[in-house]
Amino acid sequence: MIRRVLRLTTGRIAFGILAAIAFLAAFGPLLAPYDPLEGTTDILANPSGAHPLGTDYLGRDVLSRLLDGSRVSVLGAVQVALLALVVGVVPGILSVYFGRAFEWVTLRLADTLIALPFLVFAVAVTALLGNGIPQAMFVVGVMVSPLFYRVARAATLSVARSQYVEAAIVAGASVGWVVRRHVWVKVLPPIAVALANTTGVGFVVVSSLTFLGIGVQPPAPTWGGVLAADLGYLSFQPWAPLVPTALIMATVWACNLLADAIRDVTGEAGRALLNTRKLDPGKVTNGSPVAP
Amino acid sequence: MSLEVSDLDVHYGRTRALRRVSLSVAPGQTLGVIGETGSGKSTLARAVVGLVRPSAGRITVDGEEVTRYRARQWRALRRRGVVQYVFQDPLRSLDPDVTVEDSIVEPLLIQGRPRREAADRARRLAARVHLDEELLSRLPGELSGGQRQRVTVARALVTDPRVVILDEPVSALDAANRVRALELLKQLRDAGTALVFISHDLGSVAGVADRIAVLYQGGIVEEGPARTVVNAPRHPYARLLVGSAPTLRSAAADRAQREELRELLQNIGGPA
Repeated sequence: MIRRVLRLTTGRIAFGILAAIAFLAAFGPLLAPYDPLEGTTDILANPSGAHPLGTDYLGRDVLSRLLDGSRVSVLGAVQVALLALVVGVVPGILSVYFGRAFEWVTLRLADTLIALPFLVFAVAVTALLGNGIPQAMFVVGVMVSPLFYRVARAATLSVARSQYVEAAIVAGASVGWVVRRHVWVKVLPPIAVALANTTGVGFVVVSSLTFLGIGVQPPAPTWGGVLAADLGYLSFQPWAPLVPTALIMATVWACNLLADAIRDVTGEAGRALLNTRKLDPGKVTNGSPVAP
Repeated sequence: MSLEVSDLDVHYGRTRALRRVSLSVAPGQTLGVIGETGSGKSTLARAVVGLVRPSAGRITVDGEEVTRYRARQWRALRRRGVVQYVFQDPLRSLDPDVTVEDSIVEPLLIQGRPRREAADRARRLAARVHLDEELLSRLPGELSGGQRQRVTVARALVTDPRVVILDEPVSALDAANRVRALELLKQLRDAGTALVFISHDLGSVAGVADRIAVLYQGGIVEEGPARTVVNAPRHPYARLLVGSAPTLRSAAADRAQREELRELLQNIGGPA
């Protein structure tokens, strides 16, 4: 599937941006020219040769903080999305097949999570499990999982009663076979879209938790954290929030592009599009001749 | 008997879709089931392959009593590939995201046969149903209606079944392909496969079926050798069907006769 995504221009752009961001996450902390935590007297400086992106309200080099924070930010968002994927998608698909009781319980759980006030839940979990990045990611992942649950369940329901699934059942297919062979492909595109969205939401939520002192602890930099700090000094450096915003936006945008590309190459329409490009026009309508 | 159904009742909620239906098909025999939309044809087929649970009666497939089978027992029976069902709508019964070849060999892959053997079998079956080999790598959406129908027939034959139920198998085919499809069915019959051929059109069944059952409002109103049902139908509905069949020239009734029969049908109502 990755090869097919790469055949689309949107897919290539998305992969390019995501690769750059992955590079930042992997090597960003090593590339930082200054210690991201060390303050200087040169506060709120404008960009210069020494500080390409200026300094913040404690005189810390913004470029270093962004580079150093990229790992925590990206990993955090990815963790949130993957946790939500596992916690949401698996029960979402199984709720269609595992009988009434399982369906009822998971549906009510999803409703409860949607109804639960986010911050109260976050505070309760940190009180229970202690404060830390994994706990914060866990909270956010669980809180957004109902989205995945609902999307996966809706996509599965639309396939479960289709005739080709019945045909597979008549051929002796088990639930596992039906899910692997027929359901999964239909569930994947909407899930990819939800995943891309959630990754974006993850960035924002992780930084808002940082603001409350949950998860990433204040001196440690994150993209969201840098953005939050910049907003406080808008009158001194009105341009400053643009840099972390651009990073977050590029990531979310690339995720959305990737989601679109996945949707285009899965689904029937996408396959047909790619196939007609590959075939020469004269061969598209071959096969046995149609009787006059 | 390859397939035996006795006193079968099927309910959808409070609606009774089938009423005391009894029929049997011997190996190598073809039973035509005809009836109008809503007469219970498809319900009968779905009950026989276990997609619908009967509320009363008995079903025996290839010597096994399956009426009270649980999901696991059904799965074991289906995996042996003894009974296959060709769905009415070839487009909807093929997964749009699965290639033609994978659709055809799916029953084999479910049985756990190796891929290479399955691919081999797909090519031979494609030839048998007159499907170009290069179409095997296509998706169903890239095929014509007739080609898709042949794909569904090929899928049903892939396990060498003892019983094949065909739901309107030739309705989407043009004249030339229809003849080929019927030819293929005759070959199957000669190989000892029992066929249940479901259609709303008497003309397409009369030529291939040994026996014909006429389904009307969920019950069988007439059953007998094909020749008898076509030439000397007794029940008014069967007479109406024969009279309306445009392909059976000699048997075509005139308009007055058909109206008379419709009136008669209304007076006697459905089967008891």
